[in-house]
Amino acid sequence: MSVPLLHYRPWNGELRGPVASVWPIARVALRVIFRRKLFWGIYGLGLMIFLLFFFGQYLLSWAEDQGDETNVSVMGFKESPKTLVHVLREILKLDGEPHTYRNFFWYQGYIVMVVLALAGAVLIGNDIHHGSMPFYLSKPISRWHYLAGKCLAISVFINLLTTLPALILYVQYGLLKSMDYFVDQFRTALGILGYGALLTVSLSLLVVATASLVRRTVPLIMIWTGLFFFCRLLSQALVDLLHYSRLWRLIDLWNDAYIVGNALLGIDPEKLTPREQPTWYEALTVLGAMCLICLIYLIPRIRAVEIVR
Amino acid sequence: MKEDTKEETMRAPGTGVPADVAPVPALPPHYSTASPPDGPVTPSPLRAWFYLVGLSLQRQARVGQIVWIALGLLAFSGLLVGTITVSGWWGMQNRRLPRSREGVTYQNWAELTDALSQGAALPGSPEVAGINQALVASYRAALERTDFYVFSNFLVFTIFVSFLLPIWSLSFAADSLGGDREGGSLVWLLTRPLSRPAIYLAKFVALLPWSIGLSVGGFAVLCLAGGRPGWQALRFYWPAVFSGTLAFSALYHLMGAYFKRPAIVALLYSFFLETLLGNMPGYLKRGSISFYTRCMMFDAAQNYGVEPEKPSVYLAVDGSTACMVLLAATVVFLVVGMVLFSRSEYLAAD
Amino acid sequence: MPDLLDSADTGGRDRALEASPVSRPASVTTEPNSSPADHGKWIADAARDARPLLLFEQVSKWYGPVIGVNKVTLELRPGITGLVGSNGAGKTTLLRLATGQLRPDLGQVSVRGIDAWSVEAKRRVGYCPDADAFYEEMTGRQFVEAMTRLFGYPRREAVRRAGAALEAVDMNGRAERRLRGYSKGMRQRIKLAQALAHDPELLVLDEPMSGIDPVGRQEFVALFRRLAEQGKCLIVSSHELEELEKLTDHVAIMARGRIAAIGTLAEIRELLDDHPFSIFVECAVSDDRRTLAKAILDLPDVAGVEMEDAGGIVIRARNPRRFFKEFAGVVLEENLDVRRLETLDDSAQAILGYLLGGGR
Repeated sequence: MSVPLLHYRPWNGELRGPVASVWPIARVALRVIFRRKLFWGIYGLGLMIFLLFFFGQYLLSWAEDQGDETNVSVMGFKESPKTLVHVLREILKLDGEPHTYRNFFWYQGYIVMVVLALAGAVLIGNDIHHGSMPFYLSKPISRWHYLAGKCLAISVFINLLTTLPALILYVQYGLLKSMDYFVDQFRTALGILGYGALLTVSLSLLVVATASLVRRTVPLIMIWTGLFFFCRLLSQALVDLLHYSRLWRLIDLWNDAYIVGNALLGIDPEKLTPREQPTWYEALTVLGAMCLICLIYLIPRIRAVEIVR
Repeated sequence: MKEDTKEETMRAPGTGVPADVAPVPALPPHYSTASPPDGPVTPSPLRAWFYLVGLSLQRQARVGQIVWIALGLLAFSGLLVGTITVSGWWGMQNRRLPRSREGVTYQNWAELTDALSQGAALPGSPEVAGINQALVASYRAALERTDFYVFSNFLVFTIFVSFLLPIWSLSFAADSLGGDREGGSLVWLLTRPLSRPAIYLAKFVALLPWSIGLSVGGFAVLCLAGGRPGWQALRFYWPAVFSGTLAFSALYHLMGAYFKRPAIVALLYSFFLETLLGNMPGYLKRGSISFYTRCMMFDAAQNYGVEPEKPSVYLAVDGSTACMVLLAATVVFLVVGMVLFSRSEYLAAD
Repeated sequence: MPDLLDSADTGGRDRALEASPVSRPASVTTEPNSSPADHGKWIADAARDARPLLLFEQVSKWYGPVIGVNKVTLELRPGITGLVGSNGAGKTTLLRLATGQLRPDLGQVSVRGIDAWSVEAKRRVGYCPDADAFYEEMTGRQFVEAMTRLFGYPRREAVRRAGAALEAVDMNGRAERRLRGYSKGMRQRIKLAQALAHDPELLVLDEPMSGIDPVGRQEFVALFRRLAEQGKCLIVSSHELEELEKLTDHVAIMARGRIAAIGTLAEIRELLDDHPFSIFVECAVSDDRRTLAKAILDLPDVAGVEMEDAGGIVIRARNPRRFFKEFAGVVLEENLDVRRLETLDDSAQAILGYLLGGGR
């Protein structure tokens, strides 16, 4: 049927290239996830840690402003400001230093893992399981554009839980302290962005590859938790309990990102906890190798449909 | 026919075969489901229920990936445990104090102490020598028993209870109803003459052999690979593993009836909420299943020094209370699930 | 006419209100596995049960704010009823209510007087769903046997029934392959076989002929008619009227969750002829509408004309087929440029769409 019979209005614009398809693919993926109550429930739990940090920093600033008062009332509890400051600064490490943000990224690990399991199952698993791939690949786009779109959507989830809240904490601390904070700790801001970018690239590739490998939700979760939880427990048990070599910590991918993020934030590696950690270049090598393996796997996997020209 | 007939009962009369259609050809001669040769057979709901249990049991393994990944985890863990057993790393004998390459192993400490005590024994004082020897002997005996302690902390509490137990329960329990919902094949069961609670119960009974088989069986395999401390651990801990599996399976099965993506919610529960609750002070941790599983284990192995890191903070309950809570939780989850399932309408899979 | 048709044809409103037994014509072969006496007794028993096989009483069902079925009252007795309507009209919802998968928010659905949600009602219902999700790891035969065993039949009986049902849908030679390798048509046949195997009184078939080739459709039509002769009640949904016309003369038309019309096609056409409807007409030139209105008022089927502020006219008329022919004649005669023609009456639009156009 020719176009005039369909009564379309004539359009005189220029068709954009396949690169322009990346954002629409990501946008649709985001919409699919954002309309689920489950996602918002999980995101709400993830924000709990952020709120803890947020209000902790505010409380610290307020306590420091109390000066030499002997006793102040905090929500009905009487406490010395010096104790509050000590707890918040020294114990919880809410002091605006780079390790505050590094710790924040670490604590968000559990929730990021759950959100990515959901995203992987819905965005990629469903496409393959329900046969939606032909709809994408029959358009004049390549598998790389499809992959980029999905990775872009997943990176939004990762950054919503890690980079964006960390930057908000950074800005909050600066506003509470002084504007000099932004100058003095400029490298920290870059470090936060770098840590976020590292997580984005590595985790989005990993979740797309895993979801393409196992399309159903339960096997995806088993592998995903195996990669994160099992490997973490294993590495902790091997190194801390059985005193094996520190290199065994490299099997914990979240820890590898933590080590590299630590380096990006300019923190002395000796201050990493737990102790006996690999070096940042060892961790980066492992992450890089993992990304490469994922890419190599995805090349044939996404070519699920023969495009007849 | 007037408009007001819309308000009356609308009746479709019967076969109105159009006049211009060809005559009906005869059906195949064998076709008749109405009457069997030996007389009418009455269908039995109980027979249907048992068949559903058997069918669900068989179908649990349909997603081969789940079985292979579960077995893969078992194989990997077993290999690790076996390697540690073979290299004799369970006991504290080869650990160093202080913890560094220059530190002395505990085994050496025992020998040094023995040598020192003999060398420093007061001459002509058999009583003192006897006490020295008794001290060294009990130190050595305690050192021998540290393999069970290390095995418990490394494998049982860190690897098994924190990860393998919930994930093995989740793999089958979340897929039992969740898999049928996701795949859209729940309609076949919902349109059979089986009551909803019966369907729910049958599915639960069918998943139990799988999740218990994997959890308790897998635990047994890991314990066997652990050698002597493993045997001890199996003897002490298998009731806790069994009860914990029942409770986890019942909870995940309930999630399958309520949530569209029960696996994700189960994941959230076991690896976020349980971790969070487990680290909470006071009585909050009593909201988690693994707390009671651990309490049963602590109670069973208390004579071997296996206890929570900070007992006054952990506030463990005794083993029999913990066991009763787990079994009661299983029953409660089952009943709630049956009620939920019988009221819910399941539309097309998402 | 062959005897078979004469005795099978229970069309006509006089017989509509009775569930009259269908007597077996002499030309039909007796199957070896059942005696005519057994069969006749079964039909007689079914006939004696005066309760309707399927009864909807003022049933409404909402999906959140959207209404799926809207105050439907419907009673079905033995025979074939076609259920026709566009996508989103509520056919699938209606059928799901009949099979006890959904509960009505208002009203009641019953099968032989028993609530459709209950276990006892499901025993009497055979359902062929629209959705295509099987136990893919099984073969077709295993699947039908499994579905039959879930009714509570012992293994031997289930195997016998499954075999008979597969024979009826012409799948006997092809049922040993795994379902995941089946074509759409084969999957439909398996769905139908599992619906038949336990010999239900009521068959609820949601688009049973979707994906079936023309030869297969003829076979299905023959099968359904034979089942109806046995005294079963079949409700067959489709969005293709031509397909249903070959099967039955009695249809229920659904639109926007309501039963817009029910009866024979002839009766529905007659209903439409008497049923006034409204259409909106817009001309390219504004002044033309007066010319059009004047010419239209002379037509016998036109009840009234209204001038709209928006620039068009609203015509109320009867007998759509005749009216549209005449309307076209008027437009050509007066050389009018009609830019827009739209039916304003929803239920009539649905009826028109299916009866006059043969589907959207």
